[in-house]
Amino acid sequence: MFIISELVALLTTNLILTQALGTSTLFIAAGSRKNLLWTAITISVFTTLGSFGACLVNGLLPDNFYDLRLLFYVLVIGIIYVILLTILYFADRKNFCTTRKYVHMSAFNCAVMGTLFTISDSSFGADMSMGSYIMAGAEAGTGFIFAAFVLTAAFKRLNSKDVPAAFRGFPATLVYLGIISMAIYALL
Amino acid sequence: MNKKLSVSDGFIRRNSVLSGLMVISPIIVCGNTIMNALALIYAFSAITFTSVAVGAFVPKKLPYGVRIIIYTCLGALSYIPVKAAAEEFFPGVIDRTGIYFMLIAVNSLITVQSETKFYRFTKGKMIISLIRHILGFDAVMLVISAIRELIAYGTFCGRVVDADIVISGLGLPFGGFIILGIACGIYRCIAPNSKDTDDFGGDSDVYNF
Repeated sequence: MFIISELVALLTTNLILTQALGTSTLFIAAGSRKNLLWTAITISVFTTLGSFGACLVNGLLPDNFYDLRLLFYVLVIGIIYVILLTILYFADRKNFCTTRKYVHMSAFNCAVMGTLFTISDSSFGADMSMGSYIMAGAEAGTGFIFAAFVLTAAFKRLNSKDVPAAFRGFPATLVYLGIISMAIYALL
Repeated sequence: MNKKLSVSDGFIRRNSVLSGLMVISPIIVCGNTIMNALALIYAFSAITFTSVAVGAFVPKKLPYGVRIIIYTCLGALSYIPVKAAAEEFFPGVIDRTGIYFMLIAVNSLITVQSETKFYRFTKGKMIISLIRHILGFDAVMLVISAIRELIAYGTFCGRVVDADIVISGLGLPFGGFIILGIACGIYRCIAPNSKDTDDFGGDSDVYNF
Protein backbone atom coordinates (compact mmCIF):
# COMPACT_ATOMS: atom_id res chain seq x y z
CA MET A 1 0.00 0.00 0.00
CA PHE A 2 2.87 2.32 0.86
CA ILE A 3 4.49 1.77 -2.54
CA ILE A 4 1.20 2.40 -4.35
CA SER A 5 0.51 5.60 -2.43
CA GLU A 6 4.06 6.80 -3.07
CA LEU A 7 3.68 6.01 -6.78
CA VAL A 8 0.41 7.94 -6.93
CA ALA A 9 2.07 10.86 -5.13
CA LEU A 10 4.95 10.76 -7.60
CA LEU A 11 2.50 10.86 -10.48
CA THR A 12 0.27 13.62 -9.15
CA THR A 13 3.19 15.89 -8.24
CA ASN A 14 5.04 15.20 -11.47
CA LEU A 15 6.12 18.57 -12.87
CA ILE A 16 6.29 17.37 -16.46
CA LEU A 17 2.98 15.57 -16.69
CA THR A 18 0.97 18.06 -14.64
CA GLN A 19 2.76 21.36 -15.37
CA ALA A 20 4.59 20.66 -18.65
CA LEU A 21 7.89 21.82 -17.17
CA GLY A 22 10.99 20.61 -19.03
CA THR A 23 9.08 18.94 -21.84
CA SER A 24 11.56 19.67 -24.63
CA THR A 25 14.43 18.44 -22.45
CA LEU A 26 12.40 15.29 -21.90
CA PHE A 27 12.22 14.70 -25.64
CA ILE A 28 16.00 14.67 -25.84
CA ALA A 29 16.31 12.46 -22.80
CA ALA A 30 13.93 9.87 -24.20
CA GLY A 31 15.78 9.71 -27.51
CA SER A 32 18.22 7.10 -26.23
CA ARG A 33 18.77 5.25 -22.99
CA LYS A 34 22.17 6.87 -22.54
CA ASN A 35 20.77 10.37 -22.92
CA LEU A 36 17.89 9.45 -20.65
CA LEU A 37 20.11 8.25 -17.84
CA TRP A 38 22.60 11.10 -17.87
CA THR A 39 20.09 13.88 -18.46
CA ALA A 40 17.85 12.59 -15.68
CA ILE A 41 20.78 12.31 -13.27
CA THR A 42 22.08 15.78 -14.14
CA ILE A 43 18.65 17.38 -13.81
CA SER A 44 18.15 15.63 -10.48
CA VAL A 45 21.47 17.06 -9.27
CA PHE A 46 20.43 20.54 -10.38
CA THR A 47 16.97 20.36 -8.80
CA THR A 48 18.33 18.94 -5.53
CA LEU A 49 21.26 21.33 -5.11
CA GLY A 50 19.24 24.18 -6.61
CA SER A 51 16.55 23.65 -3.96
CA PHE A 52 19.21 24.03 -1.29
CA GLY A 53 20.25 27.32 -2.88
CA ALA A 54 16.62 28.43 -3.27
CA CYS A 55 16.06 27.84 0.44
CA LEU A 56 19.04 30.08 1.24
CA VAL A 57 17.84 32.79 -1.16
CA ASN A 58 14.29 32.71 0.24
CA GLY A 59 15.63 32.97 3.78
CA LEU A 60 18.07 35.79 3.12
CA LEU A 61 16.22 37.92 0.55
CA PRO A 62 14.00 40.63 2.11
CA ASP A 63 10.34 40.62 1.05
CA ASN A 64 10.62 44.00 -0.72
CA PHE A 65 13.22 42.49 -3.09
CA TYR A 66 10.85 39.73 -4.17
CA ASP A 67 11.30 40.49 -7.90
CA LEU A 68 15.03 39.84 -7.63
CA ARG A 69 14.35 36.25 -6.64
CA LEU A 70 14.56 35.07 -10.25
CA LEU A 71 17.98 36.70 -10.67
CA PHE A 72 19.29 35.08 -7.49
CA TYR A 73 17.95 31.67 -8.52
CA VAL A 74 19.75 32.06 -11.84
CA LEU A 75 22.95 32.90 -9.97
CA VAL A 76 22.50 29.84 -7.73
CA ILE A 77 22.06 27.57 -10.74
CA GLY A 78 24.98 29.35 -12.41
CA ILE A 79 27.26 28.54 -9.47
CA ILE A 80 26.17 24.87 -9.49
CA TYR A 81 26.68 24.83 -13.26
CA VAL A 82 30.28 26.05 -13.01
CA ILE A 83 31.07 23.71 -10.09
CA LEU A 84 29.67 20.69 -11.96
CA LEU A 85 31.62 21.53 -15.12
CA THR A 86 34.79 21.96 -13.06
CA ILE A 87 34.28 18.63 -11.28
CA LEU A 88 33.63 16.85 -14.57
CA TYR A 89 36.70 18.44 -16.14
CA PHE A 90 39.07 17.37 -13.40
CA ALA A 91 37.39 13.99 -12.82
CA ASP A 92 37.51 12.75 -16.40
CA ARG A 93 39.19 15.03 -18.95
CA LYS A 94 39.03 12.44 -21.71
CA ASN A 95 35.24 12.29 -21.72
CA PHE A 96 34.64 15.93 -20.77
CA CYS A 97 33.47 16.87 -24.26
CA THR A 98 30.80 14.19 -24.04
CA THR A 99 29.69 14.72 -20.46
CA ARG A 100 29.59 18.53 -20.48
CA LYS A 101 26.70 18.59 -22.97
CA TYR A 102 24.40 17.11 -20.33
CA VAL A 103 25.34 19.87 -17.92
CA HIS A 104 24.84 22.54 -20.60
CA MET A 105 21.45 21.06 -21.45
CA SER A 106 20.24 20.58 -17.89
CA ALA A 107 21.28 23.82 -16.20
CA PHE A 108 18.92 26.51 -17.44
CA ASN A 109 15.60 25.03 -18.44
CA CYS A 110 12.03 25.04 -17.22
CA ALA A 111 12.45 21.73 -15.39
CA VAL A 112 15.06 23.13 -13.02
CA MET A 113 13.87 26.74 -12.69
CA GLY A 114 10.23 25.65 -12.52
CA THR A 115 11.07 23.24 -9.71
CA LEU A 116 12.67 26.00 -7.64
CA PHE A 117 9.67 28.29 -8.09
CA THR A 118 7.14 25.52 -7.48
CA ILE A 119 8.83 24.48 -4.24
CA SER A 120 9.15 28.10 -3.09
CA ASP A 121 5.60 29.06 -4.04
CA SER A 122 3.95 25.99 -2.57
CA SER A 123 1.51 26.77 0.19
CA PHE A 124 3.79 25.29 2.81
CA GLY A 125 6.88 26.95 1.30
CA ALA A 126 7.30 29.48 4.07
CA ASP A 127 7.41 26.81 6.78
CA MET A 128 9.65 24.36 4.96
CA SER A 129 13.02 23.44 6.41
CA MET A 130 16.23 23.08 4.44
CA GLY A 131 15.78 19.30 4.43
CA SER A 132 12.25 19.63 3.03
CA TYR A 133 13.49 21.85 0.23
CA ILE A 134 16.23 19.38 -0.74
CA MET A 135 13.78 16.47 -0.51
CA ALA A 136 11.28 18.29 -2.74
CA GLY A 137 14.05 19.01 -5.25
CA ALA A 138 15.10 15.35 -5.28
CA GLU A 139 11.46 14.26 -5.75
CA ALA A 140 11.14 16.59 -8.74
CA GLY A 141 14.24 15.01 -10.26
CA THR A 142 12.80 11.55 -9.64
CA GLY A 143 9.59 12.67 -11.30
CA PHE A 144 11.59 13.69 -14.35
CA ILE A 145 13.20 10.25 -14.51
CA PHE A 146 9.77 8.64 -14.20
CA ALA A 147 8.25 10.77 -16.98
CA ALA A 148 11.26 10.05 -19.19
CA PHE A 149 10.76 6.30 -18.72
CA VAL A 150 7.07 6.65 -19.54
CA LEU A 151 8.03 8.40 -22.76
CA THR A 152 10.82 5.95 -23.59
CA ALA A 153 8.35 3.08 -23.39
CA ALA A 154 6.43 4.41 -26.37
CA PHE A 155 9.18 6.35 -28.14
CA LYS A 156 9.89 3.75 -30.84
CA ARG A 157 6.24 3.23 -31.67
CA LEU A 158 5.54 6.96 -31.82
CA ASN A 159 8.42 7.29 -34.29
CA SER A 160 7.56 4.21 -36.32
CA LYS A 161 6.29 4.16 -39.91
CA ASP A 162 2.87 3.11 -38.64
CA VAL A 163 2.29 6.70 -37.57
CA PRO A 164 1.39 9.11 -40.43
CA ALA A 165 4.47 11.09 -41.50
CA ALA A 166 3.10 14.47 -40.42
CA PHE A 167 2.40 13.24 -36.90
CA ARG A 168 5.44 11.02 -36.51
CA GLY A 169 7.77 12.04 -33.68
CA PHE A 170 7.02 15.27 -31.80
CA PRO A 171 3.33 15.67 -32.63
CA ALA A 172 2.44 12.08 -31.71
CA THR A 173 4.58 12.31 -28.59
CA LEU A 174 2.82 15.48 -27.47
CA VAL A 175 -0.59 13.84 -27.93
CA TYR A 176 0.71 10.78 -26.04
CA LEU A 177 1.91 12.96 -23.16
CA GLY A 178 -1.48 14.68 -23.20
CA ILE A 179 -3.26 11.35 -22.77
CA ILE A 180 -0.92 10.32 -19.91
CA SER A 181 -1.43 13.74 -18.34
CA MET A 182 -5.21 13.33 -18.67
CA ALA A 183 -5.01 10.01 -16.85
CA ILE A 184 -3.05 11.66 -14.05
CA TYR A 185 -5.62 14.44 -13.75
CA ALA A 186 -8.18 11.77 -13.06
CA LEU A 187 -6.16 10.86 -9.94
CA LEU A 188 -6.10 14.44 -8.65
CA MET B 1 20.99 20.55 -36.82
CA ASN B 2 20.99 24.17 -37.92
CA LYS B 3 23.10 23.34 -40.97
CA LYS B 4 20.81 25.43 -43.16
CA LEU B 5 20.54 28.34 -40.77
CA SER B 6 18.84 31.27 -42.49
CA VAL B 7 17.72 34.72 -41.49
CA SER B 8 14.24 33.83 -42.78
CA ASP B 9 13.86 31.05 -40.20
CA GLY B 10 11.60 31.40 -37.23
CA PHE B 11 8.19 32.62 -38.34
CA ILE B 12 6.88 29.89 -40.62
CA ARG B 13 9.95 27.90 -41.65
CA ARG B 14 11.56 26.31 -38.57
CA ASN B 15 9.04 27.91 -36.22
CA SER B 16 10.48 27.92 -32.68
CA VAL B 17 7.40 26.30 -31.15
CA LEU B 18 6.00 24.03 -33.85
CA SER B 19 9.34 22.92 -35.27
CA GLY B 20 11.77 23.21 -32.37
CA LEU B 21 9.32 22.66 -29.49
CA MET B 22 10.83 25.59 -27.64
CA VAL B 23 9.00 27.59 -24.97
CA ILE B 24 6.07 25.21 -25.01
CA SER B 25 5.34 25.07 -21.27
CA PRO B 26 3.60 28.49 -21.12
CA ILE B 27 1.55 27.60 -24.21
CA ILE B 28 0.48 24.24 -22.80
CA VAL B 29 -0.44 25.48 -19.34
CA CYS B 30 -1.36 29.16 -19.69
CA GLY B 31 -2.30 29.43 -23.36
CA ASN B 32 -5.97 28.75 -22.70
CA THR B 33 -7.41 32.27 -23.02
CA ILE B 34 -6.58 35.16 -25.32
CA MET B 35 -6.03 37.52 -22.38
CA ASN B 36 -3.40 35.20 -20.91
CA ALA B 37 -1.87 34.84 -24.36
CA LEU B 38 -1.58 38.60 -24.86
CA ALA B 39 0.17 39.04 -21.52
CA LEU B 40 2.61 36.20 -22.22
CA ILE B 41 3.22 37.46 -25.75
CA TYR B 42 4.07 40.87 -24.32
CA ALA B 43 6.39 39.33 -21.71
CA PHE B 44 8.07 36.97 -24.16
CA SER B 45 8.56 39.64 -26.84
CA ALA B 46 9.92 42.31 -24.50
CA ILE B 47 12.18 40.04 -22.46
CA THR B 48 13.53 37.97 -25.35
CA PHE B 49 14.21 40.95 -27.61
CA THR B 50 15.97 42.94 -24.88
CA SER B 51 18.01 40.03 -23.55
CA VAL B 52 19.16 38.67 -26.91
CA ALA B 53 19.92 42.15 -28.32
CA VAL B 54 21.98 43.14 -25.28
CA GLY B 55 23.54 39.67 -25.09
CA ALA B 56 25.02 40.19 -28.56
CA PHE B 57 27.59 42.50 -26.96
CA VAL B 58 28.88 39.81 -24.58
CA PRO B 59 32.48 39.04 -25.60
CA LYS B 60 32.80 35.72 -27.41
CA LYS B 61 36.20 35.21 -25.81
CA LEU B 62 34.48 34.30 -22.54
CA PRO B 63 33.98 30.57 -21.92
CA TYR B 64 30.67 29.19 -23.19
CA GLY B 65 29.39 28.42 -19.69
CA VAL B 66 30.02 31.99 -18.51
CA ARG B 67 28.26 33.42 -21.56
CA ILE B 68 25.20 31.25 -20.90
CA ILE B 69 25.04 32.49 -17.30
CA ILE B 70 25.29 36.11 -18.49
CA TYR B 71 22.51 35.61 -21.08
CA THR B 72 20.26 34.09 -18.42
CA CYS B 73 21.03 36.91 -15.98
CA LEU B 74 20.09 39.42 -18.70
CA GLY B 75 16.74 37.64 -19.06
CA ALA B 76 16.20 37.74 -15.29
CA LEU B 77 17.04 41.45 -15.18
CA SER B 78 14.72 42.23 -18.12
CA TYR B 79 11.93 40.49 -16.23
CA ILE B 80 11.82 43.15 -13.49
CA PRO B 81 10.60 46.15 -15.56
CA VAL B 82 8.46 43.89 -17.76
CA LYS B 83 6.65 42.54 -14.70
CA ALA B 84 6.12 46.05 -13.32
CA ALA B 85 4.55 47.14 -16.63
CA ALA B 86 2.45 43.97 -16.81
CA GLU B 87 0.90 44.75 -13.43
CA GLU B 88 -0.28 48.05 -14.94
CA PHE B 89 -1.47 46.87 -18.35
CA PHE B 90 -2.61 43.30 -17.57
CA PRO B 91 -3.98 43.41 -14.01
CA GLY B 92 -4.37 39.96 -12.48
CA VAL B 93 -2.53 38.15 -15.23
CA ILE B 94 0.56 37.42 -13.13
CA ASP B 95 -1.64 35.65 -10.59
CA ARG B 96 -3.30 33.64 -13.36
CA THR B 97 -0.11 32.66 -15.15
CA GLY B 98 1.86 32.00 -11.95
CA ILE B 99 5.43 30.84 -12.37
CA TYR B 100 5.13 30.73 -16.17
CA PHE B 101 5.35 34.51 -16.38
CA MET B 102 8.73 34.26 -14.64
CA LEU B 103 9.86 31.22 -16.62
CA ILE B 104 9.43 33.23 -19.84
CA ALA B 105 12.54 35.13 -18.70
CA VAL B 106 14.68 31.99 -18.79
CA ASN B 107 13.32 30.55 -22.02
CA SER B 108 15.67 28.51 -24.19
CA LEU B 109 15.78 31.14 -26.97
CA ILE B 110 17.61 33.40 -24.50
CA THR B 111 19.69 30.84 -22.65
CA VAL B 112 21.07 28.19 -25.00
CA GLN B 113 19.59 28.98 -28.41
CA SER B 114 20.81 32.56 -28.74
CA GLU B 115 24.30 31.32 -29.62
CA THR B 116 23.12 28.91 -32.31
CA LYS B 117 20.18 30.86 -33.75
CA PHE B 118 21.15 34.54 -33.55
CA TYR B 119 24.77 35.34 -32.75
CA ARG B 120 26.06 33.65 -35.88
CA PHE B 121 24.63 36.53 -37.90
CA THR B 122 25.74 40.14 -38.19
CA LYS B 123 23.88 42.51 -35.83
CA GLY B 124 21.37 43.66 -38.46
CA LYS B 125 20.48 40.17 -39.64
CA MET B 126 20.37 39.00 -36.05
CA ILE B 127 17.67 41.56 -35.22
CA ILE B 128 15.61 40.45 -38.25
CA SER B 129 15.97 36.79 -37.32
CA LEU B 130 15.15 37.55 -33.67
CA ILE B 131 11.98 39.43 -34.62
CA ARG B 132 10.90 36.55 -36.89
CA HIS B 133 11.40 34.02 -34.07
CA ILE B 134 9.50 36.22 -31.62
CA LEU B 135 6.63 36.69 -34.09
CA GLY B 136 6.62 32.93 -34.68
CA PHE B 137 6.05 32.28 -30.99
CA ASP B 138 3.49 35.10 -30.73
CA ALA B 139 1.44 33.77 -33.64
CA VAL B 140 1.36 30.20 -32.31
CA MET B 141 0.51 31.35 -28.79
CA LEU B 142 -2.34 33.54 -30.06
CA VAL B 143 -3.86 30.97 -32.41
CA ILE B 144 -3.69 28.09 -29.95
CA SER B 145 -5.08 30.23 -27.11
CA ALA B 146 -7.96 31.41 -29.29
CA ILE B 147 -8.83 27.83 -30.29
CA ARG B 148 -8.60 26.56 -26.72
CA GLU B 149 -10.66 29.43 -25.29
CA LEU B 150 -13.34 28.88 -27.90
CA ILE B 151 -13.56 25.12 -27.41
CA ALA B 152 -12.90 24.95 -23.68
CA TYR B 153 -14.92 27.89 -22.40
CA GLY B 154 -17.14 28.90 -25.33
CA THR B 155 -15.76 32.43 -25.21
CA PHE B 156 -13.62 34.66 -27.42
CA CYS B 157 -11.64 37.41 -25.70
CA GLY B 158 -13.82 36.78 -22.67
CA ARG B 159 -17.09 37.30 -24.58
CA VAL B 160 -19.54 34.43 -24.76
CA VAL B 161 -20.04 33.09 -28.27
CA ASP B 162 -22.65 30.72 -29.62
CA ALA B 163 -20.65 27.49 -29.24
CA ASP B 164 -22.65 24.27 -29.46
CA ILE B 165 -20.02 22.08 -27.83
CA VAL B 166 -17.78 23.05 -24.95
CA ILE B 167 -14.98 20.68 -23.89
CA SER B 168 -13.70 22.22 -20.68
CA GLY B 169 -10.80 19.74 -20.39
CA LEU B 170 -9.02 21.43 -23.28
CA GLY B 171 -8.40 24.39 -21.00
CA LEU B 172 -6.28 22.18 -18.75
CA PRO B 173 -2.62 21.26 -19.38
CA PHE B 174 -3.47 17.90 -20.97
CA GLY B 175 -5.66 19.77 -23.45
CA GLY B 176 -2.66 21.98 -24.19
CA PHE B 177 -0.50 18.94 -24.94
CA ILE B 178 -3.10 17.49 -27.30
CA ILE B 179 -3.93 20.73 -29.13
CA LEU B 180 -0.23 21.59 -29.53
CA GLY B 181 0.48 18.07 -30.83
CA ILE B 182 -2.27 18.38 -33.41
CA ALA B 183 -1.05 21.89 -34.35
CA CYS B 184 2.49 20.49 -34.87
CA GLY B 185 1.09 17.81 -37.19
CA ILE B 186 -0.93 20.31 -39.21
CA TYR B 187 2.11 22.61 -39.41
CA ARG B 188 4.18 19.78 -40.87
CA CYS B 189 1.53 19.18 -43.49
CA ILE B 190 1.16 22.75 -44.67
CA ALA B 191 4.39 24.63 -43.88
CA PRO B 192 7.09 24.89 -46.53
CA ASN B 193 10.26 22.89 -45.73
CA SER B 194 8.60 21.71 -42.56
CA LYS B 195 10.55 18.47 -42.71
CA ASP B 196 13.69 20.52 -42.19
CA THR B 197 13.14 20.53 -38.45
CA ASP B 198 15.36 20.09 -35.45
CA ASP B 199 16.05 16.46 -34.62
CA PHE B 200 15.14 16.90 -31.01
CA GLY B 201 13.46 19.46 -28.82
CA GLY B 202 14.55 23.04 -28.51
CA ASP B 203 17.44 22.53 -26.14
CA SER B 204 19.12 19.95 -28.34
CA ASP B 205 21.29 22.44 -30.17
CA VAL B 206 23.64 22.55 -27.22
CA TYR B 207 24.91 19.21 -28.46
CA ASN B 208 26.85 21.23 -31.01
CA PHE B 209 29.13 22.49 -28.26
